[in-house]
Amino acid sequence: MSPAARLDVRAVACPLTWVRTRIALDRLGAGEALEVLLEAGEPLESVPRSAELEGHRVAERAPHPGGGWRVLLVKGSGAPLAAGSWEV
Amino acid sequence: MLLSDDEVARYARQLLVPGMGVVTQEFLRAARIQVVGGGPVAGPAMLYLAQAGVGILLLDDAAEVAPEDAAGWVYPPDRAGEPRVTAAIESLKAATRWVRPRIHATGAEPTAALICGGGALAREGAERARRAGIPHVVADADGEGGAVISIPPGAPCYTCAFRIGTGVPAPAPVAAAVGALAAGEILLLAGGVLQPPQGRRIDLVRGHPRTSPTVRQPGCACATRA
Repeated sequence: MSPAARLDVRAVACPLTWVRTRIALDRLGAGEALEVLLEAGEPLESVPRSAELEGHRVAERAPHPGGGWRVLLVKGSGAPLAAGSWEV
Repeated sequence: MLLSDDEVARYARQLLVPGMGVVTQEFLRAARIQVVGGGPVAGPAMLYLAQAGVGILLLDDAAEVAPEDAAGWVYPPDRAGEPRVTAAIESLKAATRWVRPRIHATGAEPTAALICGGGALAREGAERARRAGIPHVVADADGEGGAVISIPPGAPCYTCAFRIGTGVPAPAPVAAAVGALAAGEILLLAGGVLQPPQGRRIDLVRGHPRTSPTVRQPGCACATRA
């Protein structure tokens, strides 16, 4: 599956890794893929997990020849997490 | 205009809040929020609004900095005797480079209003905002707590939601808590995070918040006149 967009967040720290990934996903249509380059460790654990929690799919995850890891995220069709209701 | 990388970095944690996102942040950047009053509720609220990324803050306060205004957070002691709005503008600019604080003037056309205080200031400020058709929040510290009344367009007005307080001045930390709560409410309304169907009132009593819907009083003119 070829990605519709690519993002390299190997040089940034949490929470920007996920923030930038989410912004990039927001710009895609449902079913389109985003290639994200991540450092091993915390980014590689948290970014795919956050994506899955928001309804996206982790299609691939493999070491990247240039360093770090390449993760392919496929945008889900569900609505993003909603704000809390206006409770009274 | 899209958020810059610097803005994304600055608001990173806020952008992760459910319901927030780039579009909401861009809404806040485009917002013009009038802050009526400049006391110990308004000062902390102004800072929170500035730090949250509100683009323009229109400061609406006629008082001068007094020694006891230390509780306002945005008034350095060496500014005593100067207009509070000018001292606050400098403090807000020092806090973040993205906010554009200004003295409120006729024709400024705010997109939302935060009224900090009680009495005539609250009544008149809320009525102007209601007539302008903009969301507004009225916050007043009182004794050991205070009240924050949120009024989306078309909701029961401030007068409908008003209840008489104790009239006892609130300690500075309590006033700051009320200001922070009010800032959170106006951010929800101004950022378009929620489209609430009704107004609500949050009473803060000794640290415990109690939320209730506002109810239009029978015969109140806010049901019919804009």
